Amino acid sequence: MENSKRRFLKGTCALLAGASGATLLATVSASNEAKADPSVKYALIHDETKCIGCKACEVACRETNHVPEGVARLKIEQTGPYGEYPNQFYHFSRKSCQHCEDAPCVNVCPTGAAFIDKETGIVSVDAWKCVGCQYCIAACPYKIRFINPVTHAADKCDFCRETNLAQGKQPACVAACPTKALVFGNLKDPTSQVVQVLKANPTQRAKVDLGTRPKLFRIVAKSGEVAI
Amino acid sequence: MSTRQWLWSLRLGAMALLLSFSATSAEPAKQINSDACMKCHKRNGQMLGHHGQDAMKMTCSSCHGEKGDHPKKPNDLVVFGLNEASETSVQLQVCHKCHMPAKLSSQEWTHNVHAQKVACAACHKLHSPTDPMAEITPKVRSELCRNCHTGQQE
Repeated sequence: MENSKRRFLKGTCALLAGASGATLLATVSASNEAKADPSVKYALIHDETKCIGCKACEVACRETNHVPEGVARLKIEQTGPYGEYPNQFYHFSRKSCQHCEDAPCVNVCPTGAAFIDKETGIVSVDAWKCVGCQYCIAACPYKIRFINPVTHAADKCDFCRETNLAQGKQPACVAACPTKALVFGNLKDPTSQVVQVLKANPTQRAKVDLGTRPKLFRIVAKSGEVAI
Repeated sequence: MSTRQWLWSLRLGAMALLLSFSATSAEPAKQINSDACMKCHKRNGQMLGHHGQDAMKMTCSSCHGEKGDHPKKPNDLVVFGLNEASETSVQLQVCHKCHMPAKLSSQEWTHNVHAQKVACAACHKLHSPTDPMAEITPKVRSELCRNCHTGQQE
């Protein structure tokens, strides 16, 4: 009788210790996985020296992502004319989400609707989680967020994550650009075109002093005519 | 009963007559389309656009130049367009007689960058009833840019 009670207690203790050890191990391995860097980190380069201001990107974005009229995920801002007739020229710069590594919009979102996709580094929005508080719109230093009048959720460029990228295609704006002024690719892949272009050209990013670490690069246009 | 029927048919007949009359009178023949050139250029000469309105008192030669040796070649007629057309500078000279660059640029910025490099007729069509550039949609507009800006040269 005494013996059996003792054996029972011993057995239970051993079982408990084993189980807790296993769960500990499991959580440790899980946290290791989360910390592991993703192999894909998407970035975009707008080569302003090649941009002709045709706005095919704007049109393609609207069509592909069903962005209603009156709002836009992507705008081409035009300045000029510079120079004297007949040798005048314009400058075009892209205004869209910069896909910050440290995104203020994600930091302020109270519901978790704004998030950074761990697998691709894309800053995205879960429309069904968004309550429309507009904190993200206020927080974004690049002023590119808006409330979609159809979904009533915050909306912005997501590199076509749910549309073209999901189908294995390039983002709509990149595919539409006639002069190939937009280069999209994986920063983690040293052979990707985006890395090659970044290595070969001086590029700029907007408001880097804020520490947001944006991933939209621009090759700044020189003065003079744009060659086709 | 028969009187009523007769009256109705009379009314309908009158309506049909009026409609057919208004349809024919809506598009009075423009003076420019009775130009001497039209004797040969019946098909490709019809001027239906804005520049053909009688008040402007334009003739074919206002833009295309005097007949000269035409139809013998070579001749001095100005041919508008991209292919088999006159020199761009010659084409531009004609349009610039009336259309001032400063005013064109205030209407549309692309006039500035194409200034003396592209003929107006590369985008604009004057003979059709409406210029395809009038009320062009953003999509068609960007496709038009793509026709020339193909990125092949870089």
